Amino acid sequence: MSSGHAAKTPGKLSESLGERKSRRIGWLLTGPAQALLLFIVVFPTIVTVYVSLTLWTPLDGQPWTQAYRWFAWFDNYVEIFHDAKLFSALGRTLFMVAIAVALEFALGFGLALLFVDRFRFRPIYYTLILMPMMVVPAVAGYMFLMLFQSTGPINQIISAVSGQTFDPTWLANERLAVSAVITAEVWQWTPMVFLILLAGLMSVPEDQVKAARLLGANELQILRRISIPRIKVVIAIALGIRLIEGLKLFDIMYIMTRGGPGVATETLSLYIYKRTYGDLEWAYVSALGLTIVLAMSLVALCLLELAKRRGRQRPAGV
Amino acid sequence: MKLSTLLRHGAIWLAVFVALFPIAWMASMAFKPPLEWTAAAGNITWLPKAPTLANFEYIFFGTSDAYPSSTVMEKTALRPIFASLLVSTIATMIATVVGSLAAYGYSRHGYGKSLPLALVQLRMFPPLAVIIPIMIMWAYLALIDTWWGLSLIYGIVTLPFAFWLMLTFLEEVPIELEEAALIEGASPSRIFYRITLPLVKPALATTALFVFILNWSDYILALMLTRSKWITIPVFMNDLNSAQTGQLYGAKAALGLIAIVPPLILGVLIQKHLVRGLTFGALKQ
Repeated sequence: MSSGHAAKTPGKLSESLGERKSRRIGWLLTGPAQALLLFIVVFPTIVTVYVSLTLWTPLDGQPWTQAYRWFAWFDNYVEIFHDAKLFSALGRTLFMVAIAVALEFALGFGLALLFVDRFRFRPIYYTLILMPMMVVPAVAGYMFLMLFQSTGPINQIISAVSGQTFDPTWLANERLAVSAVITAEVWQWTPMVFLILLAGLMSVPEDQVKAARLLGANELQILRRISIPRIKVVIAIALGIRLIEGLKLFDIMYIMTRGGPGVATETLSLYIYKRTYGDLEWAYVSALGLTIVLAMSLVALCLLELAKRRGRQRPAGV
Repeated sequence: MKLSTLLRHGAIWLAVFVALFPIAWMASMAFKPPLEWTAAAGNITWLPKAPTLANFEYIFFGTSDAYPSSTVMEKTALRPIFASLLVSTIATMIATVVGSLAAYGYSRHGYGKSLPLALVQLRMFPPLAVIIPIMIMWAYLALIDTWWGLSLIYGIVTLPFAFWLMLTFLEEVPIELEEAALIEGASPSRIFYRITLPLVKPALATTALFVFILNWSDYILALMLTRSKWITIPVFMNDLNSAQTGQLYGAKAALGLIAIVPPLILGVLIQKHLVRGLTFGALKQ
């Protein structure tokens, strides 16, 4: 395993090829990608900024170019701060993501520890455990919709284990619906955390672990003193990816509950979806989307800066 | 056997069981006749008692003798399956070709310095936060509900993965060969076709398969940017309901099974490189 791909300087052929020629070829090669990027960034950004300053909606029967007729300065942006439903959706999203990621991490890390040593049929078990993550998320939503029927297999198993009849309608009960969607999310994405953490654990030098064992260290000490410090970056990557992906949470929830019952499982994405389709408030949603993008970029920038400073302080690390 | 070994295997078996149970339940559901879809009086059917292909018949032909007559549907799943295959394939080609060329240009000629970060950023935002301008643009360019429109957005959205995967693979190819050929007087395009391309062929295949899985798995973009002609499998699954009987679980399960088989097979094929793909090349196995 290696981390940090920027280690080698790019442009390795330019020396032997000559600066000018290399530049021309580089321009040709990266051109299509840059063009696609411009295509998807420039026009949409202009549209978002423009529309977000108006009160236009497709219901007005005018194309978006005519949106200036409903020009409203920063009304939409002001509304964002008064949008109580938005903040409760945001709160629910963070709450569900926090629980889901914590569970994914605990289960994924535990499983990864079991897979560090070699044992019989390990590759087969490994492949089987990865399966959920390759299931199309929307289909995973339908799977759990079936599993959580009131007469479905999950209730049957709980009844059989507890010896009492257990038959709530999971997706119609506020609290149970939240646990049901979190269960589906955790089922699908624990394998990914497991996969990343295992790749990290496997990179810990075996001789260090063996030496520590010879010196009488127990497994917990080895974990705390050797393994975890060495895979800090890997843990950060796994958690970072899951948190960002978690904020996008949509497919499973949309299919299982449509955000219900009430708004119990309404995430940020579902809230935006409802305002986009239910109310067709495209101007407001544009302002909201732009705000989210800016806020996330700001957070990412701060994190990067933090990581850089940390890296400068302790260049040794991983 | 030692107790700790026993515990370890117990835990692993439990994990495998939990991982596979929902998939197995859906697979079993796909072969159940309508009567067995839901449990009557606490009598749950774990494995189909009267296994049938009625669900598959229904999704392919729009009608089945085993189904109530009110459920006949005009649109079958054939078209969405075709749409998913076509759109995912074209998008995969766009992302892989454009992404690989860009990765090669960046890695060998140092051009496009802003690409790596810009592409990661493209992946970061919730799709719904940026969907409105894309919907407006797609409507403006008449791309809504077309196969090329959906392919284009899929290709753009998976471009970051293709770029990063190929970049990390290219960094592993020793530069000396290319340099030597250059000094011998070979032209850059000849070097690309004769030296680099053969060396990265397996990497290209891995990248393409990975990107295909991502395209195939999309739900939200197809939901927003298609209406009826080019809806994909996951969006079509919404339609498998009937006013009288509610959710057609068996039909959904049958189509779901068809939907998950390709990514499962491809995923197992490229298992070794999943870590690299999922972490933008930050980690390798």
